[in-house]
Amino acid sequence: MRARLRTLDPHLLWVLLALMALGTLTLYSAGRNTPQAGIWLKQGLWNLLGLTLMVLLAAVDPRRILRISFPAYLLGLVALAAVLVVGRKIGGATRWFVFAGQTFQPSELMKWITLLYVSYRLGTRAPETVGRWELLGSAGLVAFPMLLVLKQPDLGMALSFLPILLLIPLMKGLKWRWVLLLVVGVSVGGVFGWRHVLKPYQKQRVMIFLDPSADLQGKGYQVNQSRIAIGSGGLFGKGFTSGSQTQLNFLPVKTTDFAFSVWAEERGFLGVLFVLGLFGLLLTRLLDAASQARTSAEAYFCAGAAAIFAMHLMVNVGMVAGALPNKGMVLPFFSAGGSSTLSFFLALGLVMGVLHRAKVK
Amino acid sequence: MEPRQRVLLQRRLGVFRALAWGLVLVLGSIYAWLQIVRHGEFKQLALQQAVKVRPIPAPRGLILDRNGYRLVDNRRALHLVIQREDLPTKPDVVEALAQALQMDPAALARKIQAYRAAGKGSPLVLKENMDEADIAVAERVRSRFPFLSMEVAPRRVYLGDELAGHVLGYVGEVDDDLMKAKPGLYHLGETIGKDGFEASGNDRLKGVDGQKRILVDQLGQEVASFGQVDAVPGHTVFLTLDAGLQKVLQDAFGEEAGAAVVLDLRDGGVLAMYSSPSYDPNLFLNRLSQEMVDRYLRNPARPMINRATQGIYAPGSTFKLLIALAGLEKGVITPQTVIYCSGKKNFYGRDFRCDKPTGHGALNLVQAIAQSCDVYFYEVASRLDIDDIYATAAKYGLTVPTGIDLPREKAPRIPSREWKRKAVPRDPKWYAGETISVGIGQGAVGITPIALARFYALLATKGRLLTPHLFLGLRDDQTNALEPAPPPIARDAPLDPKLWSVLDEGLSEVVRSGTAAANPFVLEIAKEIPFAGKTGTAQVATFVDKAHYARQAKHLKDHALFAGYAPRDRPQIAFAVVVENAGFGSTAAAPIAAKVVKYWCVDRFSNPLPPPRGRLVDPFSPEQPQQSPEAP
Repeated sequence: MRARLRTLDPHLLWVLLALMALGTLTLYSAGRNTPQAGIWLKQGLWNLLGLTLMVLLAAVDPRRILRISFPAYLLGLVALAAVLVVGRKIGGATRWFVFAGQTFQPSELMKWITLLYVSYRLGTRAPETVGRWELLGSAGLVAFPMLLVLKQPDLGMALSFLPILLLIPLMKGLKWRWVLLLVVGVSVGGVFGWRHVLKPYQKQRVMIFLDPSADLQGKGYQVNQSRIAIGSGGLFGKGFTSGSQTQLNFLPVKTTDFAFSVWAEERGFLGVLFVLGLFGLLLTRLLDAASQARTSAEAYFCAGAAAIFAMHLMVNVGMVAGALPNKGMVLPFFSAGGSSTLSFFLALGLVMGVLHRAKVK
Repeated sequence: MEPRQRVLLQRRLGVFRALAWGLVLVLGSIYAWLQIVRHGEFKQLALQQAVKVRPIPAPRGLILDRNGYRLVDNRRALHLVIQREDLPTKPDVVEALAQALQMDPAALARKIQAYRAAGKGSPLVLKENMDEADIAVAERVRSRFPFLSMEVAPRRVYLGDELAGHVLGYVGEVDDDLMKAKPGLYHLGETIGKDGFEASGNDRLKGVDGQKRILVDQLGQEVASFGQVDAVPGHTVFLTLDAGLQKVLQDAFGEEAGAAVVLDLRDGGVLAMYSSPSYDPNLFLNRLSQEMVDRYLRNPARPMINRATQGIYAPGSTFKLLIALAGLEKGVITPQTVIYCSGKKNFYGRDFRCDKPTGHGALNLVQAIAQSCDVYFYEVASRLDIDDIYATAAKYGLTVPTGIDLPREKAPRIPSREWKRKAVPRDPKWYAGETISVGIGQGAVGITPIALARFYALLATKGRLLTPHLFLGLRDDQTNALEPAPPPIARDAPLDPKLWSVLDEGLSEVVRSGTAAANPFVLEIAKEIPFAGKTGTAQVATFVDKAHYARQAKHLKDHALFAGYAPRDRPQIAFAVVVENAGFGSTAAAPIAAKVVKYWCVDRFSNPLPPPRGRLVDPFSPEQPQQSPEAP
């Protein structure tokens, strides 16, 4: 056991434990006086299970895991297809398998498997030998599970696959004309999409994002209440379990998407800075792992993991503050949820394995 | 990994690192903006939605009769309401709610709009005074519309039902017109008196609403309460009414229309006032049903009008006392003046007929009053100018409203030259022939029963012009005893004792041997308790002869009047009775007055009528309606 623990990276571990503790406390406060009063305990158990899996995975040579990434990818695609057929429909979306009373969301794990497989494919070639078609193929590997997730439908989750594409500039570098092309493409696509693709309710969502106060009782309600919670928290916050927005239930879905608003209300701007700092350290450590990795594939995986965490951080923390559209994307260690928690820990286990092998080398 | 590739990778990872901390910086700035720069604004919003001010309605004071019997009580009732901040905004929600409660969606939407526009005030009441079936429905509807809430509120109960409908009036929500007429005085949804003493005594009865600040959750449910300011209950008020005497009037009128007033000669207090048909104020506490609109508002008998203070009737022969007074004071007759009645007399080329076609023969003033001879008073009137009559009426308070503490009292109509110029611009000239009709209380003369009663009170008191009133005093909260209020001022308009004794003699002869004595019931009571009064018969339409009159429909028949005071020696009460379309004053109105005299002078001591008892049973009150008097 002692040998097992030595495979863990202490910097990453401390950051992780701190985020876990703060997240669980936040859930305790968010669940008080609601039917979900025990959710912090449940999340604590998921965290412990996740930690255990992380320790186990850290001891495995990442190269062995990378090698089985193709079959895992295929299996993941099958699971995503299967969930559309036999999955449980909750709130209009078919995202969950039900197993032993627990719901399981295969897409959470699938984005890490996709990252793993893409890293493996790109990492086993010298960058110069990888051509345009090869890169397009890799993009296709990301797009395929994304489309299956979109079909559920789960736009937020589908978006969290996008950071994997950052591996391409990481490998091949970036030319300015590509950036220009991207900007033009997104603008044209945006206009076209607004005119011909988006359904009225989707357009309405965008409009509400642009001006949440226009529809206070309807779609803009959640974000508006979240902004009130954050803003009224001030510099020092209202104190643990003392946030009026949280405790009087004005803040919606506060144990999942809006958990960070609870933290911001009760701990204030200083608390927000502290957590953002912890996430900054987490991302830094993941990128450290990428630069120290023995192989390209391992490096790509670690950098991709940083990109995915950053995406979650940006979309969730930005969304609850009203700076980004209201898209369901969880904040790691804060939002309650079994599938996402386990997936984050598994990914971090792999990263720890990479760091350990790099030191042993 | 080749070294060259590792170098490139490191460089690109450096960009990633910068981007990661850049992200942290941007997110941090957004939160700094919200939590530091805009902190005050959001703090205000958070407080606004969590802390609410709720009014605590003050219980309205009770209304008691002069003996302390309850006329108006409070019971608890459940209302279905929407708190002001929970008013739904979406049209489809409003429509669904209207459907669930079987209300008109457009009307509901308008009401919600009005309540939203008015900043603060009472909650919007959707359904009031719910019974058990209503509550079951409301609970079902509430599960679909969580913004609805139930509120316990005091409800008025008028224990006598129709006993004193017009006098007590009823309460309701303040209406838009009043809010506009007196801005700032009322708040939307406030309960105020709408009619009767509930309206005129509103300031005494209403009390001061309290308020509390409460912490509410997202569903608007109270989590905690703080900063409570208790309501100050309204004063409980004693009225001058005597519930038993009021009951005598109610029973005496039965199905007949009309009005009667009984005044206390000591201070002008109204001992009884009944307007028939009466109304039941309890029915006006709920939204008007079609049945009620038909019964009260569209009824040709106009039961909503208080005939005692708003009904203008030709006084008929009851007006002869004023003519006699005018003639005596002006000197055109003396108490001994004898005038011959042949059944009719010609003035200005027109025959004026006496009620007795064969004629009364030679009469002095006392006999003329007792027999109600028209010719005698035609003659007196012919010797007077209309403006003399008006001046006498003005001197004895007959030209203005009496000033009773009830809303919308009308002034009597006493004609004069100036009056005709204004009222009949087509024919502004006053003709002497018109004065002859005024001599017997016909023509343009119109008078309210309350004003007539006050005039006879003046005769009874030899010249005190009392101000009729209903407010007797407040109840002391500690002892529950009456704290009498000083009665409103009375004016002295003294009568010459010599002239007065002639009038008094004439009025008592009416009952003893004259027109009223023709009724055996009246005669019998007058033998027991001598009293004074004058019959009157006011024409509603003109007829060729008596046979023609007898054939006419009820609503064209004459109004019967009787006004007087009792007992004759040391009078205590004055009264006026009008019975519409009932024929002669002696047959219809005098017996009602006789019943009043009998009850007030005899029966109220030996055989008092029981106090009014509530017909309504309050399902929410464990307390039974109180039956014993409160005051000693």
